[in-house]
Amino acid sequence: MLLQLNFKSGKPVYLQVVDQIKAAAASGTLQSGEPLPSIRPLAEELRVNRNTVAKAYAELESQGIIETLPGKGCFLKPNNSPLRKEVRRKLLTEEIDQAIIQAHHLQVPASEFLQLVRERLEALEERKRNAEEKQGNNV
Amino acid sequence: MSEPIIEIKGLSYAYSKSEAVHDLNLTVSPGRCYGLFGRNGAGKTTTMKCLLNLLRPKSGCINLFGLDPAKNEVEVKSRLAYVPDAVAFYPWMTVRETLDYLASFRAHWNKDVEQDLISRFRLVPDQKTGGLSKGQRTQVALLAAICPEPELLLLDEPTSGLDPIVRREFIETVIGAYQEGEPGKRTILVSTHLISEFEGLIDEFTIVDRGRNVLTLGSDEARGRYQKIRARFVQPPAVTQFAGAIRTKIDGREVEIIANGGGPEILEKLRGMSPESLTSEALTLEEVFVATLKST
Repeated sequence: MLLQLNFKSGKPVYLQVVDQIKAAAASGTLQSGEPLPSIRPLAEELRVNRNTVAKAYAELESQGIIETLPGKGCFLKPNNSPLRKEVRRKLLTEEIDQAIIQAHHLQVPASEFLQLVRERLEALEERKRNAEEKQGNNV
Repeated sequence: MSEPIIEIKGLSYAYSKSEAVHDLNLTVSPGRCYGLFGRNGAGKTTTMKCLLNLLRPKSGCINLFGLDPAKNEVEVKSRLAYVPDAVAFYPWMTVRETLDYLASFRAHWNKDVEQDLISRFRLVPDQKTGGLSKGQRTQVALLAAICPEPELLLLDEPTSGLDPIVRREFIETVIGAYQEGEPGKRTILVSTHLISEFEGLIDEFTIVDRGRNVLTLGSDEARGRYQKIRARFVQPPAVTQFAGAIRTKIDGREVEIIANGGGPEILEKLRGMSPESLTSEALTLEEVFVATLKST
């Protein structure tokens, strides 16, 4: 799996790992039931503190994205969030609000903003399709 | 909070008349990887030597594992390992003999880790240490520091003067082989001026300059707080002062600001001035180091 850390993003390093694994899961690059790299080799490869990767995995586990099977490692869980629907909506609303505020400051009007959202959703779908095709070819 | 592994309070040390460390404070909690950053001659090695009881502090107090290293030297030293910047071994001994000799001082020595690292570093056990390169000597020293699985690893400028491959391997080994153990029993203090290569490993740091504390911060916190903001305007800007900026550079229509904590307000103000372009990024730890020492 390809993770790219950026120390200039201002985002805590463990959160970058969390967000990129979530993105890989959403786009299908990482399929449910697939194993995640173990903490030690991933930390060595990224050259980050082992505790940073451990913290990221703990966070992913508490969000219900991955599960740890004793003696086997960490795996991506099937996509069923343990959170109730309203909680999920609320979490997403907060993120959307941030994007809306940003759009306001960048003087991106509502219509253009919505168009952009549609484009990004399509881009994600496209990546998902590509990942599925690749998966199909491998079988 | 658990008891700190290292606690330095008001440490001062002078070589004859020149003061190397002045009223230095530093606290390292268990399981942390702590960076001690400073320019050459800032007092990093003197601090390390005081921790190891190789130098007696002029004033102040030091505790390692809650113990005084001068009074409990044997116990303290049995729980830590030290890799200096210049490593010396008996040149007539082979790598194997050197490791056996160093292991003889230790109550515990992990043979599996030793085997793993000998092959990882491609060391030849029958080679005399006198014929080793600087990189290989550092590798033997790191190996000898990790095999006893100490609770504290003190690294003093460990990668200076090494080639990039050896540096990379060094850091990967510290992450992989050393940090593998029980997290609360794997604490690292690393002094360096090669900050960028330790960026991902360090979770908290102190910058020292001329023997004094300048800044202590968590790494994520530092990268969240220090920002480099760049803006370009149609006309040279009328405003040249920005509250919260630690450095402002104006070059015609372009403005570059280093902010410490006041980033959002400065960005808001710049946006109000209708810039052609506006970007901001976090400072890396090395840039925080440079910005901090330039503004003092």
